[in-house]
Order: sequence, then structure tokens, then C-alpha cells
Amino acid sequence: MLERPFKEKPDFEHLRAVLLRECKDGPVPLLELAADPEIMSEVTGIPCPAERAREVIFANPDDFDLEKVQLGIALMDLSIAYSAKLGLDYVTMIPLVPLPRTRTQLANTGVGRERALRSWQDEHAGLIANRDDFLRYRWPSFDQINILPVDYAATRMPDGMKVVLMYMGLFEDLRQLMGFEALAYATADDPELVDDILERLTRVAEYTVGLAAAHPATGAIFYADDMGFSSGTFLSPRFMRQYVTPRLKRITDACHKHGKPFLLHSCGNVLSLMEDFIDVVGIDAKHSFEDKILPVEEWYARYASRIAIIGGLDMDLLGRGSEEEVRARTRRILQACASGGGYCMGTGNSAANYIKLDNYYAMIDETRRGNEEHGF
Amino acid sequence: MVDLQKLHDAILNGDAKTSAAVTLDALGEKVPPIEIIQKAMVPAMDEVGRRFECQDYFVPELLLSARAMKVAMEPLRPLLAASGVQRAGKVVIGTVKGDLHDIGKNLVAALLEGGGYEVIDLGANVAPERFVEAARDAGANIVCLSALLTVTMTAMKTTIEALQAAGLRDRVKVLIGGAPVTRQFAQDIGADGYGDNASVAVSLARSFAKAPGAA
Repeated sequence: MLERPFKEKPDFEHLRAVLLRECKDGPVPLLELAADPEIMSEVTGIPCPAERAREVIFANPDDFDLEKVQLGIALMDLSIAYSAKLGLDYVTMIPLVPLPRTRTQLANTGVGRERALRSWQDEHAGLIANRDDFLRYRWPSFDQINILPVDYAATRMPDGMKVVLMYMGLFEDLRQLMGFEALAYATADDPELVDDILERLTRVAEYTVGLAAAHPATGAIFYADDMGFSSGTFLSPRFMRQYVTPRLKRITDACHKHGKPFLLHSCGNVLSLMEDFIDVVGIDAKHSFEDKILPVEEWYARYASRIAIIGGLDMDLLGRGSEEEVRARTRRILQACASGGGYCMGTGNSAANYIKLDNYYAMIDETRRGNEEHGF
Repeated sequence: MVDLQKLHDAILNGDAKTSAAVTLDALGEKVPPIEIIQKAMVPAMDEVGRRFECQDYFVPELLLSARAMKVAMEPLRPLLAASGVQRAGKVVIGTVKGDLHDIGKNLVAALLEGGGYEVIDLGANVAPERFVEAARDAGANIVCLSALLTVTMTAMKTTIEALQAAGLRDRVKVLIGGAPVTRQFAQDIGADGYGDNASVAVSLARSFAKAPGAA
């Protein structure tokens, strides 16, 4: 159980200052990319049909009906209640971008919870395999894109809280639209097609991120784009530099134009691209770390003089470790990262439905205690 | 006379059209399938694996080479089966129960096949009993398990236990890999080997064959 909320009152301005490395003093804030519906439901005690909620999150534009709209509203309420209950400075929302996608497959991981379903993208094929598919694809017009969830949260979240808008990134969308295997072949067989898809996705992302960043209730953009696996980037750094990072800069600029921090979540070993992310793209913070690749303390030592570092408590430990181990690891991370500023505590990836809730609480509780011991 | 170096280079460059054509030419000239595999495919896929490890190649290049290797392998399979030629070993491979991710597993399967192994690919979300059944039916000497999530990798332990319970553990080596898997985890669950990337699987499989008391 959580002893008490992380904070009595949300203070997004402090979180913002940490993300922009404007303060070296003050409490270490908490920040997550996302929390699964099961976790939010368990934390708040508000029932949520997680399986159906997932259908809403991944719904195609044509699949929306009254029931899905109602579920969407329930999810937004749940997200606000979750942030309030934990004592977070922000609430996570996602924009409504009607990009038709392939259906995800679901599998029960069979651990921890009675039903712990994960969504899996089809890795072999997508909706766009060739030029004809590309031309037929129903690209959304700008007037079909909206940020109603930000409006919704603006009038309902507690004072001092702001929206962190999670946006699914270019490379992630590219993989979904083509299927990873087909994308891999296309980089050799038809690179122009890949380039054209990326360009269309970039225009959508630039518009949406700009729209959200301009909203006064939005505090930051959390851009989620897994570009690596355990030993390197999926595609070569050369390909990424030619096709992806210049576009990522355009999206980042659309956010910065409105003075909002741009936070990059990318799983995997993306060390070969970090200089590009920092110097060319201009990200404000990096998220998603695994001890197996490089412990977060090491990322902090290398990059915290230029960007903020978010999270890093390894998902394996949160899923399989004991509460004592989580507390000890949280302490070690805080010792290495707290005093220099520019660090937010959090998981290595997200509050996923396969982590133990008591371990998640232990991470939060230990961070709060650490802050209190330092007089914050 | 057909030049098997062309097949080697076609696989290395991910050129499926050339690899298929050269293989058919070689068969037309009565080159034994096992010679095609040993002289062209094995060294080509070894080089692909080496380039992947030193980050000259990335996942697309690996997939392209695997595709070129597979189309070349297609006409060889029935001939190999009919001739009864001994392959380097038999491998049963799959992504464990609860896990649907299979790109990494497919790459390992392709590299092993290119490395001269007969590969029985069970696909994704495979229950422990399916691994047991396939390993027993095929007379496999290696079982490869893949997982993407920290929670699904626990199914690797269950699968090893199932192999043990079925009395197969002493004749199959178990090799594990995947994003969250570590050497320590492999030791903890009693796996015989751990690969932190796809190309390591082939060298591990070969090391099993050389080891005393090899399966």
C-alpha cells in the first residue's frame, strides 16, 4: 500500500523546471510515459474494463461508436483520478489522430493479474505494402485531428496539474503501417515509399504536436518512439539520420515554438543516435532505460549536463523483484541522480500491467522519503 | 560451371533473385545440395552474423540476407530430406507462451538454417508442451526459446521444467534469448546458453556440438 500520496499538491511548474534543468534544488518529481488501465484501476479503486479500454486506445476511426466514446471518457476520468490519487504533477492524455492501423493481437502474459493482456503489433505486414496501398490509404486531414482529451482534462484536473500529451512517434507509426518485416525489406526494395510515408506521418505529427503544445493546459509533449533493441538501433544510424532525425527535429520545433518541453521516449540501445537527438533534434529529456543495456546512472553521468533524464527503474526488477530490492535500487538511483538536478524518478518504461503494484508503490514511497529527508 | 561465390555474395547482399537463380543453376549442374550449403550458404550467413555483431549490418540487412538464403534453400530442402544427408543438428525454436514477438526468433531461425541446421519453427506464443512434443518427435538436440517481455521470459523456466519432466533434458541443449533475458537469468533457470543477439545463437549451437558430452 502507498503510505500517502507522493505530494499534497501538484506542482507542474517544478516538474517543468526539472525537465528544462532550470533548477538544481528541490524534490525529485515522478514522471511516467503511461500507466496501463489495470494499474490505474488498482491504484484508484475505480473499476475499468481494461480489455475493452485497450480497444478504445487502438480503435480505428471507423470503429468508434457510442460505447467506445463512453469508454474513452471513462479512461480520461480514470487517468485524472490516478494522477490525483498518487499525487502527480501531471495527467497523461493522448490526442485523437485517426490514422487507420492494423489490428493489434492480444496475448495474456498470464502473470500477476488474472487477465494481463498485452497488445502486440503484427510485425510482418501492415496496411501499406506498396505505392498503390500508399495512395489508397486514408490519411487524415488536419481538421480530422483533435486534442479534445486536453480540453477535457483542462477543466477537470486539480490546480497546479498540467497535461503531458503522449504522442506515438514516426518510427512507431511507420512500423505499424508497414509491419516491421515489410518495412525492413522496403528500406532496400523501395526506399522512396518509406520516405513518402514518413513525410506524411511527419506532417500529421507536426500539426498535432503543435496544436497540443499551443494549448495552455498542456505542460509537455511525451513523444514515444522505440527505435532500438538491446544491442543497437533497429535500422542503421545512417538510415535514421537520413530519414528520421531531421523530421523528428521538425516535430520538436513544433513543440518548442510554444515553449513546451519535448521529452523523448525510446526503448532500446539508441546510444549511437544520442548526439543527434541532443544536438540536431534538440530534445529536452530522454526516457526509457534498461539495466541490461546501460543503467540509468550511467545515462545520467553522460548526458544530464545537456538534457534531463527520466525514470530508469528497471522493468524486470519491478516485475519480478521484491519490495526491498526496489527500495534499495530506488535509493541508489537517487544517490546518483538526485543532487545534480534534471532527474525525474519513474519506471524504465511505463506502469505496465505486468509490474507488481507494491513494487511500484515502493518506488514512489522511497522517492518521497528521499525528498523529505532532504527537506522537500 | 556455376560459381558458388555468386550465391555467397547474393546472400550477403540480400539479393534473393540472384541467390535463387544461382542455386537452381547449381542443382542443374548436379552440385550436391550439401555442398551448396557448406560452400556458399554457411560462410555467407556466418559473415552476415559477424557484420551484425559489429554493427555493419542492422535488422533489415539481416532480414534481407535471411530472405535470400531462404529462397535458395527452398529447392534444396526436399533433396536433402530424400538423400538423408546428416545436417549440423536439429533445432526446435519458438517464442514462449504469452509472447507474440517473433522477429528476433525468426532471425535466429534463419541464421541457424543458414548455418547448416535443420530448424523446426513452432512460431510464437508456444506452450511448453508443444516444445516438448516437437523436440521429442523431431529428435531435436537443441531447443531455442525467445521472449520479449520480462514477464513472459518466466515461461522459459516452465518450458525447461517441462523438458525435464518429459525426460528430454539430458539430450537437448536449451538456448535462450530476447530483449529482457540476461546471462544471469539463463543460469538461474538452468538454460545451457544465452545469446544477447541473433548471431550468437549459431556459435553457441556449434559450441554445443564440440563440448564433451554434447547432445
